[in-house]
Amino acid sequence: MPISSSMGRRSVLVAGMTLGAGALIAGLSGCGSSNGVADIPLAAATGNAARGRRMRIARPAASAAETLDPASSLSAYEYLGAIYNRLVKLDQQGTTVPDLASEWSSTPDGKTWTFKLRRGVRFHDGRVLTAGDVVYTLGHILDPATGSPQAGVLAPILEPSGVTASDSHTVVFALTSPNAEFPSLLTAYQCYIIPAGSAAAIGRTGIGTGPFRLSSYTPAGRGSVEAFADHFAGPPALDGIDFYSVQDTSARVNALLAGQIDLISQTNLDFATARVVASSPVATVARAKDAQWYTIPMLATSKEFSDPLVRQAMKLAYNPKDIVATALQGNGSPGWDNPVPPGYADALDYTRPYDPEQARALLKQAGVEGLRMPIYTSSYDSVFTPLAVAYAEAVKQAGINLTVTSASSDSYYTEIWMKKPLSVSYWFTGRPVDQLLNQVFRSGSSYNESAWSNAAFDQLLVDARREMNDERRRGIYQDAQRLIIEDGADMTPMFGDRLVGLSRKVVNYSEFGFEFDYLKIGLS
Amino acid sequence: MPLLILRRLGSAVLTIVLASLLVFLAIQALPGDVVQQILGRDATPEAVARMRSELGLDTPVFLRYVQWLFGALQGDFGTSLVSGEPVGPNLLLHFRNTLLIAVPTVIISVTLSIVLGVVAGLRRGKWADHSISLISLLAMSIPEFMVAALLVLAFAVGIPMFPAVVLDGPQASLAQLLPSIWLPVIVLSLAMAAYIIRMTRTSTIDVMTSEFITTAELKGLRRARVVMRHALPTALLPTLNVVAINIAWMLGGVVVVENIFNYPGMGNLMLEAVFNRDLPVIEAIAVVSAAIYVACNLLADLTAMALDPRQRFRPRARRGAGAQPGPKASPAISTVERSQP
Repeated sequence: MPISSSMGRRSVLVAGMTLGAGALIAGLSGCGSSNGVADIPLAAATGNAARGRRMRIARPAASAAETLDPASSLSAYEYLGAIYNRLVKLDQQGTTVPDLASEWSSTPDGKTWTFKLRRGVRFHDGRVLTAGDVVYTLGHILDPATGSPQAGVLAPILEPSGVTASDSHTVVFALTSPNAEFPSLLTAYQCYIIPAGSAAAIGRTGIGTGPFRLSSYTPAGRGSVEAFADHFAGPPALDGIDFYSVQDTSARVNALLAGQIDLISQTNLDFATARVVASSPVATVARAKDAQWYTIPMLATSKEFSDPLVRQAMKLAYNPKDIVATALQGNGSPGWDNPVPPGYADALDYTRPYDPEQARALLKQAGVEGLRMPIYTSSYDSVFTPLAVAYAEAVKQAGINLTVTSASSDSYYTEIWMKKPLSVSYWFTGRPVDQLLNQVFRSGSSYNESAWSNAAFDQLLVDARREMNDERRRGIYQDAQRLIIEDGADMTPMFGDRLVGLSRKVVNYSEFGFEFDYLKIGLS
Repeated sequence: MPLLILRRLGSAVLTIVLASLLVFLAIQALPGDVVQQILGRDATPEAVARMRSELGLDTPVFLRYVQWLFGALQGDFGTSLVSGEPVGPNLLLHFRNTLLIAVPTVIISVTLSIVLGVVAGLRRGKWADHSISLISLLAMSIPEFMVAALLVLAFAVGIPMFPAVVLDGPQASLAQLLPSIWLPVIVLSLAMAAYIIRMTRTSTIDVMTSEFITTAELKGLRRARVVMRHALPTALLPTLNVVAINIAWMLGGVVVVENIFNYPGMGNLMLEAVFNRDLPVIEAIAVVSAAIYVACNLLADLTAMALDPRQRFRPRARRGAGAQPGPKASPAISTVERSQP
């Protein structure tokens, strides 16, 4: 479920424990080394991977209900990138690039898209990938019985009957409405291609075209994958990967420090722990840059934030740079309330003003001078509370009085999120711009966490999908971003780097968005 | 005597059923149900509705409890709402793993603490007493997760003698789990032993100053014989209840410790089940825990009777009639409460 993540899901019962243990280990190892605790490294090690090595990865399994069916909302995320491929994937600039599809094009109206498949691609069971597998996979994703989160994105523009194979290696998508950004919607990690007719068994068999083939798997338990020699991009550097399910964050860290595992996946280490890991002789820290998109949703349907003036004041009142400096200790980038990550090609280059006096004046104009209310946080993510505290501190200058209120982390996303007027939250970055804006900001979308509704914004999204010219479309998306910054109800104070604990032997680790390079990663 | 045991067994069954009902209701009161917990932020209204009806969560609460109780009475604890697997075999597997920690813990901590407690009591005020008391007070005051972190740091990270966490799942064989049990056993033993040492010490001191010991000593018996034959059985009486409470407490302590070591035991299963609101699993664990609690207490009382003839032959006095000064003294000491972690 990395639409958010499962990290720290269970921290409710053990939050104090992790803190205590982290601080303790920090203190002790600090005494041991002469130069104190190490800084967090900026880049992962690169180099030649040794042959014949197996990597051990600890992961927080979401629940025993997890499955290898990529379309499901309960998929075991860490396996997917190793065993499957999609038609297309995103690069670091948010641009759609080839994976199983070698090229694609559309009719001038943007309604019919044709994808050519790479030739000579084999599934792990020896079958050759054909257009029929793609048609079948899309049918499976769109099937309401699958309950795929990506169906909510694709179903409004695509019916299962609209996906056809025109020859053995060509797939045609006939959309119900024009969409210039359609290929980017197929980059989601629910869109991995599975063999035709495999839906019933795929949850256990995991047969795909990826660099590794599954050799064993237990839901919420151990599993292994082996290098797949026939992979179209060549065999991976590793011979295999063993996945272990370790629920508690500090247990995962202990396993890393004790040399029992080589990498902790889907876990953003808190800063104290990251420094301990970085100063260990066996382990270190790498980062997935800007991987965590932190938000402060203001519920636009609440009495406080239905007034656009108040929302504007809440933004003008704080400087995102200060929040990055305190809540992230500098490990990230300021967001300036624009949800599109700064590295994306479509990102709007605009820094809104920081003006607490103006914020105060706007609040006065709205009749809520000296606004007092709670801001909700929890231990769900280690940065939530620092973020809430830093924000509450920052807006004091504008006369806004926020009480930081901590809620139970195990029910945070059922009881607080999208229910309380002001809370902190986060997403993983890695969505293409069209999906990001439509999923989290369009009126009525189930992931619209601020319940913001703006007709002009919704119209821009429709216009963008109709605009086939890339430059002009980029302009429309940037107009949409400007609307979010000026009127939107979901603030983006910052993008945080995910701090990933790994062994000092790991080379060529690379991860961004929902992309993990399983092909190059190796052990020295 | 048999009548007494029967009466106690009857109330034990009632306690277990009541516990299961209370736990059932408590889970209903928790925010979020199993569907919301599993789906998390993907819990769109349609997805929630579909999954709820798939799992049969749309039946009324009490009907579901009655259905569950009926099944449980026949030994069928249902299937997990999360994994869809039957609860019984899975719980048994985790229970086996927990026993693998619990049994050595009980043996080590009870033996060690009774010996140390008696030594401390006999050498009251001497250096042996002081050091034993200091260490046990320390062990009592430092929470288990702290002790666990220290031990991991020392014996898994520093000197790699033991694994820091268990990477194997619940199906792991005993041989695979064996290297991993020692750190959890030490952590739990330390916490448990501390309380028993304190209790044993106190009651040893009480007994050694009582008149029958003085008599025995004046009779010219050797000190070892006085201690072993006369003092120890009496001193152990109040300790028994503390041991019983501690064994039951260990079920709670085991949750924290198993989580730290990723040990695939009952505590870990419980944490997972509570997090996911997996009712059938929680209920089964509640029944097992309640049964252990009740059994420990029953066993402690029966052993007390075996050790103390006065408790066996006590006339069945009506409430308020005829105070029994002698045996009353020991239960008063034994109601030592300890906080759950």
